[in-house]
Amino acid sequence: MKRLIVRAGLGTSLVLLTTLSALAQMPNDAIYMPKKTICAALMLGQSNWNSYWENTLKRENDNIGKHTTQSASLMAAGGLSNRVNLIVNLPYVTTNTSAGNLLGQKGFQDLSGWLKINAVQYKGLSLHTIVGASIPVSDYVPSFLPMSIGMGAKTVSGRLLANYKHEPTGLYITAHGTYTWRGTVNLDQDAYQFDGKIYNTNRAAVPNAMDAALRLGILKRTFQTEVFAERFACLSGDNIRRNDMPFLTNNMQATTAGWYGKYQPHNVGVNARASYVTSGLNMGQSTSFMLGLLYQINL
Amino acid sequence: MKNSYKILIVSALSLTFWACDKTVDEPQRVGYTPVSVDEKAGTWKTYVLPSPADVTVAVPASTASAEYVAEVTDLKSRSANLSLDQQEAVVFWGVGAVYRWNEIARELAARYNVPPASTADGKYPVPDAANPTADPKFPFANPPYTARALAYLSVAQYDALVATWSYKYKFNRPAPSKVDVTVRVSLPVSALPSYPSEDVVVAAASATVLKAMFPGEVTFIDAKVAEHRNSRLWAGMNVESDLAAGASLGSQVAVKVMARAKTDGMSASNNQTVTAALIQAAQSRGQTNVWTSQEIPARPPMLPNYGAAINWNFDAATKVKLRPNPAPLPGSDQFNKELAELQSMQKNQTREQARIANYWSDGPGSYTPPGHWNRAAANAAHEAKFSEVRMARTLALVSTAIHDAGVCCWETKFYYYTPRPQQYGVKTSIGLPNFPSYTSGHSTFSAAAATALGYVFPDKADTFTAQAKEASESRVYGMIHFRSDCDAGLVCGKNIGGYAVARGQADGSGL
Repeated sequence: MKRLIVRAGLGTSLVLLTTLSALAQMPNDAIYMPKKTICAALMLGQSNWNSYWENTLKRENDNIGKHTTQSASLMAAGGLSNRVNLIVNLPYVTTNTSAGNLLGQKGFQDLSGWLKINAVQYKGLSLHTIVGASIPVSDYVPSFLPMSIGMGAKTVSGRLLANYKHEPTGLYITAHGTYTWRGTVNLDQDAYQFDGKIYNTNRAAVPNAMDAALRLGILKRTFQTEVFAERFACLSGDNIRRNDMPFLTNNMQATTAGWYGKYQPHNVGVNARASYVTSGLNMGQSTSFMLGLLYQINL
Repeated sequence: MKNSYKILIVSALSLTFWACDKTVDEPQRVGYTPVSVDEKAGTWKTYVLPSPADVTVAVPASTASAEYVAEVTDLKSRSANLSLDQQEAVVFWGVGAVYRWNEIARELAARYNVPPASTADGKYPVPDAANPTADPKFPFANPPYTARALAYLSVAQYDALVATWSYKYKFNRPAPSKVDVTVRVSLPVSALPSYPSEDVVVAAASATVLKAMFPGEVTFIDAKVAEHRNSRLWAGMNVESDLAAGASLGSQVAVKVMARAKTDGMSASNNQTVTAALIQAAQSRGQTNVWTSQEIPARPPMLPNYGAAINWNFDAATKVKLRPNPAPLPGSDQFNKELAELQSMQKNQTREQARIANYWSDGPGSYTPPGHWNRAAANAAHEAKFSEVRMARTLALVSTAIHDAGVCCWETKFYYYTPRPQQYGVKTSIGLPNFPSYTSGHSTFSAAAATALGYVFPDKADTFTAQAKEASESRVYGMIHFRSDCDAGLVCGKNIGGYAVARGQADGSGL
């Protein structure tokens, strides 16, 4: 359930975010801003789920009803050089439910940044190394899942991305894989249960995670359209106990399918994303939408 | 590009270290020689066991006997060349028998502290003691259940240790390492006679109680008992006959203590047929707006008849006297003022208020407020280097006060049957328990525990009182209680704790 939010913060929000004309770019594509250009984006996202996986049990919860996470993210991507880009993103996130009495949470979540380098370019084939990091920027409560706006952990990500583009048609295929280190979180509580054992400390380790994705699309000068499949999985963690709430230490996993598109004829453009979780573990089966306004600045 | 690669690699590495420090260190405790061995503890007043003479303990072989010498020889072989696992077990259990078994009980409570899920037809199945590992697991170790489990655990440990001390000083058999200095010991050795082994007494008594309270955990508990018992051999602390006598004594006492549990009223605590009359009675006293479950589907209230259970430190007539005056009625100025406080908090809850609400929430998946205060008591007693019997006395005083608080609080809750703030549209940042509002369980548990703890640790009394106040207010900050619920609960809890203090002052310990 949480992962939804994290994605909003680090993965997806970035993913969701950018794109400038044919130039607009994100941490999961092979597109670069040229030197001395910046793309700024304001992106609005909404993610809902009615059912979730409690461990492997798919269920609904009448005391939650429909869970909604909304976000407004400010993002900027700039060309340090034609082959090195810096991307930063800051989302403001709110949560609420349609039923029950859990208080929705809101606040600035995690500031994230990505450095993207086009390491190899050979005809239509390119390889990219991408490193990212994120840090919570407000003192939100991470342990009140599924209402928390984030996981509260600092993260560092390393991503390798390969892309092949057929220039005449604009057809491209992208594959990438990521390892994300996630740190420990200071809880308000000084004890918690992990995998059936009590830990008498306020420090909880958020599991590290890997993700992988395959994208297929068309990229032209003024537009981009893409379908994708993503897989996210923690590398450790426990499961939600029967009828209990999720927790930071849970092994969250999800497979997501979706579409991404962008239209930017000139400096001003729009982008959009829609995705759906097809299977998961310890997470909500969310349907997510994003709509962004893009603006390119040439310095 | 080359430079940017270098920068990239260096920054990636440093970022990785910055983010992925995954060490989660728990405070580690170590064993100690107690400040006093409390050699007169065999005369202290017990709770259930009429007297140490009500258990049988075999007369031990003398230290000069061939039988004993053979046991020491066996001990020497067992305590030499320990594996890493054995060394870890020695250190773990060396922290203290009562301390560790209280910790184990809290962990079991946390594992079982989840309310049953509703079924497709909108019903809530009741956990079945005869089928404890099925869904829903038995028990639902909610705060009343856990309060009682910890009280019986501590009482069994205490009564058994009082009897143990009586026999230790009757037989006066010294520790094996004092008989034969070549016995290698891994833990501090005090002047305490070693027959019967106090460690195995605690293990056996605890196991008997916990198997009854958590019948799905027999295998887990047996493994803990075996490791605890063996650790005494690995540590060179006890010979086999010390252990055998301890196991027998601990079991005998715990069986007697659990006989009380069978008739203490708990078996009728979830009698849902009483609620209609309780609601009617509350309404006839003017409480026209009564509590209703806010869960979907509506869940029957948690243990509506728990308040009818018997108390440890006072009788049923006293329980009625301890019940506070009615809560402000909905619609009254005081009620509206308290509701407005919560409505305002919902909009403007500070991070500090949220922190306090979270710190004390001890909700599902936790060891509950009774577990929270047991932990505080065990830690304080460990830091004060109490003997096993004095630590058991401390935990018995605290946990019987907590259990009494739970019973009184539940009696009050279902006597008045008052609504929760959520019935007036208030949301919560911690989750809403499923039973009437007045008085606050956290407040009552906490004040009772803090009062008992303040008596045992007078230099920390102010700290415990402040913590109880904070625990109480945390329920306002979490927006699930009106302030009157908390204030009245604190007063009741303090009065209830006073009965535990009076018992402690009269138990012959002179403490």
